Amino acid sequence: MEVTYKVHRKDPENGGESSYSTYQVELPEDATVLDGLQKIRDEQDDTLAFRASCCQGSCGECAVRINYKAQFTCTTRIGDVTKKAPEILLDPVRNIPVIKDLVFDMDRFTWNKMAAMKPWMEPDDEFAPTENLVPESEMADVRKTMSCHACSLCDEGCAVLPVNFDFLGPAAMVKGYRFVMDPRETGAKMEARMKVVEQPQGLWDCVHCYEADGKCPRGLTPSSKIMEIRDVAFKEGIKHEKVGRHHASFINSVKQTGWLDERKLVMETEGMTNVTGLMKLLPTAVRALRRGKMPGRHEKRPGADQIKRILEKAEDSK
Amino acid sequence: MKYAFYPGCVAKGGCPELYSAACKVAEKLDIELEEMSDVACTGAGCMPTQLSDPINARTFAKAEQMGLPIMTICSTCQGVFSQANHRLQDAEYREEINREYLAEEGLSYQGTTEVKHMLWVLFEDYGIEKLKALIERPLNGLRVSPFYGCFLRRPGNIMVPTKDVGARRGYLEDLTQILGAENVDISGKTKCCGFPILTANEEASLGMVAKHAGESSQKGADCMVTPCPLCHLNLDGNQPRAEGQTGEKIDLPIIHLPQLVGLALGFNTDEMQLGRHIVSTKAVNDKVDMLT
Amino acid sequence: MPQYDVLVIGGGASGLRAAIAAKRAGASVAVLSKVHPLRTNSALSPGGLNAPLGNDDSAEKFAQDIRNAGDGLCDTEAVNILAADAAREVVWLERVGVPFNRNAEGRIDCRPLGSSSVSRAAYADDRTGHMVLHVLHEQFQREDIPCFAERFVTSLIQDGGVCTGAVALGHRSGQLETFGAGAVILATGGATQLYRPCTSAVGTTGDGLMLAHDLGVGLVDLEMVQFHPTVYSAARTALISEAALGAGAKLVNAAGDKLVNAGGLSRAQLAAEVHKAGQNGGGPVSLDLRPVDNLASRFPAAAEVVRLMAGIDITKDPVPVQPVAHRPMGGIEANAAGETSVAGLYAVGECAHNGLNGAGRLPGNTLTEAVVFGRRVGEAAAAHAKSAGAADAGGSQAAQDGERLAEITSGGTSGDTIGAVHRELGELMNANLGVSRTDAGLAEAQDKIRALRERHAALRVNNKSRIYNYALAGYIELGNLLKLAEATALAARGRAESRGAHLRSDHPEKDDSNWKAHTVVRSQDGSPKLDTRAVSA
Ligand SMILES: Cc1cc2nc3c(=O)[nH]c(=O)nc-3n(C[C@H](O)[C@H](O)[C@H](O)COP(=O)(O)OP(=O)(O)OC[C@H]3O[C@@H](n4cnc5c(N)ncnc54)[C@H](O)[C@@H]3O)c2cc1C
Ligand code: SF4
Ligand code: SF4
Ligand code: SF4
Ligand code: FES
Repeated sequence: MEVTYKVHRKDPENGGESSYSTYQVELPEDATVLDGLQKIRDEQDDTLAFRASCCQGSCGECAVRINYKAQFTCTTRIGDVTKKAPEILLDPVRNIPVIKDLVFDMDRFTWNKMAAMKPWMEPDDEFAPTENLVPESEMADVRKTMSCHACSLCDEGCAVLPVNFDFLGPAAMVKGYRFVMDPRETGAKMEARMKVVEQPQGLWDCVHCYEADGKCPRGLTPSSKIMEIRDVAFKEGIKHEKVGRHHASFINSVKQTGWLDERKLVMETEGMTNVTGLMKLLPTAVRALRRGKMPGRHEKRPGADQIKRILEKAEDSK
Repeated sequence: MKYAFYPGCVAKGGCPELYSAACKVAEKLDIELEEMSDVACTGAGCMPTQLSDPINARTFAKAEQMGLPIMTICSTCQGVFSQANHRLQDAEYREEINREYLAEEGLSYQGTTEVKHMLWVLFEDYGIEKLKALIERPLNGLRVSPFYGCFLRRPGNIMVPTKDVGARRGYLEDLTQILGAENVDISGKTKCCGFPILTANEEASLGMVAKHAGESSQKGADCMVTPCPLCHLNLDGNQPRAEGQTGEKIDLPIIHLPQLVGLALGFNTDEMQLGRHIVSTKAVNDKVDMLT
Repeated sequence: MPQYDVLVIGGGASGLRAAIAAKRAGASVAVLSKVHPLRTNSALSPGGLNAPLGNDDSAEKFAQDIRNAGDGLCDTEAVNILAADAAREVVWLERVGVPFNRNAEGRIDCRPLGSSSVSRAAYADDRTGHMVLHVLHEQFQREDIPCFAERFVTSLIQDGGVCTGAVALGHRSGQLETFGAGAVILATGGATQLYRPCTSAVGTTGDGLMLAHDLGVGLVDLEMVQFHPTVYSAARTALISEAALGAGAKLVNAAGDKLVNAGGLSRAQLAAEVHKAGQNGGGPVSLDLRPVDNLASRFPAAAEVVRLMAGIDITKDPVPVQPVAHRPMGGIEANAAGETSVAGLYAVGECAHNGLNGAGRLPGNTLTEAVVFGRRVGEAAAAHAKSAGAADAGGSQAAQDGERLAEITSGGTSGDTIGAVHRELGELMNANLGVSRTDAGLAEAQDKIRALRERHAALRVNNKSRIYNYALAGYIELGNLLKLAEATALAARGRAESRGAHLRSDHPEKDDSNWKAHTVVRSQDGSPKLDTRAVSA
C-alpha cells in the first residue's frame, strides 16, 4: 500500500529551523513505521536522521511521536496508524532539545537523569564466594522493574517536565525504585539511597498525577512506583527537609483535631524560623485575608480521639 | 436521594465558598446531604497508606452504618478514597484493618461503601435530563475551560474502571455545555495543576499554573471550572504569583464546579460567593448578570 | 587529543566488563560505542548464562559439555578458563545487582539450556542479557568511566606494528575524533547482519573484524555460524529462548506431530532438524509453548516480542519458527588473554575467536564468555598499557579517514541503493551459506559477492553532512559485511567436511584427519587468503 509520511526535519547546520518533509512510500500492509523510515532513507532521502537498534521493541532506542503519541517505530504497524489518520506524522518526543530531524538529546533527556540516581550498588561483600540468599518472592518485583529499557516514553508523558525540565522524571524514579526495593540494600545503604531518591528535583517534585502509568511499554506503572517510594520515605523518615516538615505538620494536625489546619500547615512547612520562606507567603496571605479566604478557626472534630488512636497505632506498626 | 456528605478540609477551610455552593445546589436539586462530621481527613496523599488506609476504612465503615453512599466535592478526597477503597476490596487486608484499628470502636468495614464525586453523582445517579429541566439561566455566551486535574481521571483502572463509566472522561465538558456555556478546550485539562509540589518546587508549581491558566486565557475563556478545590487554590490563589514569575498577565477566574451549576440553576453571583476568589471574577459576573 | 591507557571499542557486555576490570586494575579507560551501551545486542539475549553453580555440577563437567558442543575445534586453555571462572563471575554479577531467579533455598536457580548435561544456565526471567547488561552499565557508571556513545570507529591507528588508538566519527559532533591509547580492546560484537533474516541489532556488522583484518590480524573459523532453531521469522524476527524447550515447550511439524526430542541435541543439530522439516514440504514447524507452566510469567520477553513482532499470543497459539542466523563462532584471532598478532590490540566477546567455541557454541555461553573474558582481557590490556606507556597516535589517520568519507559522500547514485545491496547479500548468504552448504553454492556465492562488492564500490552517499549521517555509517558497515562475506565464503568452501555448525551436503562426514583444524583468513595484498592452524590441546 502507498503511505504518506510527514516527518519533522531540523538541520543543525542550516539554521536549525523546524519544518516537515513529506514522502510517499510503497510498503506491505504489515510493515512497521520503522520499515518505512528505512526505506525512505535508502531510496528517497539519505539525509533523514532517526535512531533504531534492535528493531524488535527490546532496546528502547526508536521512540518518536507517531501522530502525536509517543511510541516505538519498530513495533508500530503502519496499518494501525493509517486506520485512524490519512498520513503518518512523525515528531521527536516532547520536552526535549532536538538535534536533527527525529534525533533528540538523549543525554539530557534520559542518561544524565538516570545517572543522577547514582544507579549502582556498592556492596561491602562484593567478592564474597557465594551469592546473596534471597527468596524468589522478594526478587520478582525488582526483576520486573529492571526490565525497564530506559526508553523514556514515561518521561514524555510526565506532567512536570514541560514546566520543569530539570525534574528527574519517572524513568529515573523507576531506576530509583529498583534500588529502594532491592532486598540486598539495607541499613545505612538504604538510608543513603533514600537521600539520593529524595534529592532536589527527585521524589518530592513529582505531582503524583499518575500520567506515566499508562505510558510504559513494559507495563511498569512508573507513577504508582513513585507513590510506593513515597510510602517507603514516610516509613523511613522523610529526608527532604521542607517536605518532611510539611508532612509531619499534616499528620500532627489530623492527629490533634481529626482534620487539617491549613494555616498551621503552611507556617510549619516553611519552618517557624525560616523568615524568608514566611515572607514569601505574605502576599498570598494578605490577599487571602482581604477576600475572606484565610481558613477560619480550626476546631477539634468529634471522633478526633479515635482518629488519633488509630494513627498512633498505625505509626507504631512500622 | 441521599448521601453521606464528605466536604473535605479545604471546603471547610480555605474554600468555604465551595462548601456553601455545594450545599445550596444540592438543596435546589433535592439531593439530601447528611454531613459526616466525626471522620478524619483522607490523608490527601500526604500520609503513607499505612496510616491513611485505616482512617479511611473508618470513614467508609461509618457511611456503611448510615446505609449511604459518600459524596465528595474534592477530586483529591475522591482520588484518595477511591484508591483506598480499591485496596480495601481485598478481604484479607480489610479484615486486618478491622481487627487492628476499627474493632476497638465497635466498627467494622464490609467493603460496600460507594464513594462518588458530585460530578459523577450528577451524571450517574441524578440524571442529566432532570438537571436540564431545572436550569433557569442557561449560561449562553459564557466561555468556560474545563479543568479536571489528576485525580478524577487517574489511575484509570480505579477512577474509570469499566466501560460503563467510560463517559466519565468527558463529564466536565458535557456538563459545561449542558449548562449552556461554551467549552474552551485546553491541552492540559487533564494534567496536574501543580499543587502537590508547591512545597518541594514552587517554581515548577507556579509554572504549571501559568501554563494552564495562561492557555485558557489566551484562547479567550472567561473562566475555568474545576471539580477540585486544591486545583482552585493553586490556579486561583497563586495566579498572581505565577504572573509574577512569567511577567505575563493571565487574569482568569477559577470557578468551582458547584458554583457553575449554581449559576445555571438561577443563583446569583453573590449567592455563589464568587467575591471570595483571589482572581477577580468581574468578567464572569458581568456576563452572568446580563443573562438576567 | 584524548589519551587513555585502555580504549575499549564496544559498549556491550564484553566491552563494559573489560572497561570495569581495566579501571579497577588502575588504568585510565574510555569506552567508544556506535550506540549507547544499553541499546546493544547484549540486551537481547534471553536464555541465560552458564555457570556450574549446582551441587551436581562441576567445572570439569562444564568443560566437557563445551568440548562436546565444539565438535573438535575447541582450544583447551580458553575452555578451562571459562569453566573455572564462570561461577565466580556469575556470583559477582549477583552481588552487584543482577536479579537472578532463585530456587527454593534462595540461591541462584539454574535451568536446562541446549545440550548441557545438567541445568546450568543462571537466568533472570527470559531477559538475562538485558539484566546483565544493565547491571554492568551500573557498575560502569560507578567506576566513573567516560563513555563516548554514538561514536562510529572508522580506523585503528597503527604505528610500527603497535596499535596506538582509534579514529571515530562522532555522530553528534560531526567530527572525526582521534583517541590515543596504550592498548585498544575490540569488543565490537558479531556480524550477523551478513544474513537476512537474522536475530541481531542493526549495528551487528562485523566492523571490529574488519578493523583488525585491515591491520593484518587473522579471522578464524568464519564458516562457523550458529543458526538459532526457534525464531519466528516473517517480515520481522522474534527469537524465543531455547530455554522454553527445556521448560516443556514442543516443536511440532505442520501435522501437529512432535518433531524431535530436543534434549541432548546440539543447537546445530536442532537447527538442522527444524530446517529439514521445513524443507521437506512438511510445512512450517511451530513451537508450541502452551505446555510450559506459568508461561507468561516465566517467559515475559518471549510473550512480548512475539506479540509485538508476530501478533501472536504464545499462551494461545503455537508460533511458526525456523532456524535463523544468530551468532558467529568465528572471529578475530586472539588468545585467552585477548591478545592479537598486533601489539596493543585486544579482542573479546562476540567479535573474538579465542578458541572457546569451536565449531558450535554451547547455548548460554556467550554472556558468560563476555563477562569471564571481558574481565581477563581488561586486566591484560591494563597491564600492557602500563608497561608500554603512552604512544603518540598522531593525526594522519584522521586526515586519511576524512578523505575517505569525503569520497563516499561525493554525490548521489541513481538506481542502486545501499539497502538493495545489503538485502541481496543477506538473502544470498542465507541461501548459499545457510544451515546447509555445497561447493557449487559456495562458488556461486563467491562470484555474486564479488559482483555485490563492485556495486557497493560504485555507490555514493548523497548526504554530505557528518551529523547523524546514518547513510554514511551504513555504507561503511555494508563495505565491512561484503569483505567479511567474501572471507566467510572462502573459509566455508575450504572446509570440505561437515562439523558443528558447518554442514556440507556434498561432504556430509566429519574429516578429522584433514580438518580438525581452524581456518584462518588473512588479508594479503588486499585480498583474503585462507590458511589453517592446528587446534591447541
Ligand atoms: C536475539 C539474541 C538472543 C541471544 N540469546 C543469547 C542467550 O540466550 N544466551 C547467551 O549467552 N547469548 C545470547 N545471545 C548472544 C549474546 O547476546 C551476544 O553474543 C553478546 O551479548 C555479545 O556481547 P558483545 O559485548 O561481545 O557485543 P555486543 O553486545 O554486540 O556489543 C557490540 C558493541 O560494539 C559496538 N560497535 C560495533 N562496531 C562499532 C564501531 N564501528 N564503532 C564503535 N562501536 C562499535 C556496538 O555499538 C556495541 O556497543 C543472543 C543474541 C541475540 C541477538
Ligand atoms: S506521577 Fe510524577 S513523575 Fe509521573 S507523570 Fe506525574 S508528575 Fe511525572
Ligand atoms: S519505566 Fe517504562 S516507559 Fe519509563 S523508561 Fe522504563 S520502560 Fe520506558
Ligand atoms: S484531601 Fe484535602 S480536602 Fe480532602 S480531606 Fe484531606 S486535605 Fe482535606
Ligand atoms: S529499535 Fe529497539 S525498541 Fe525499537
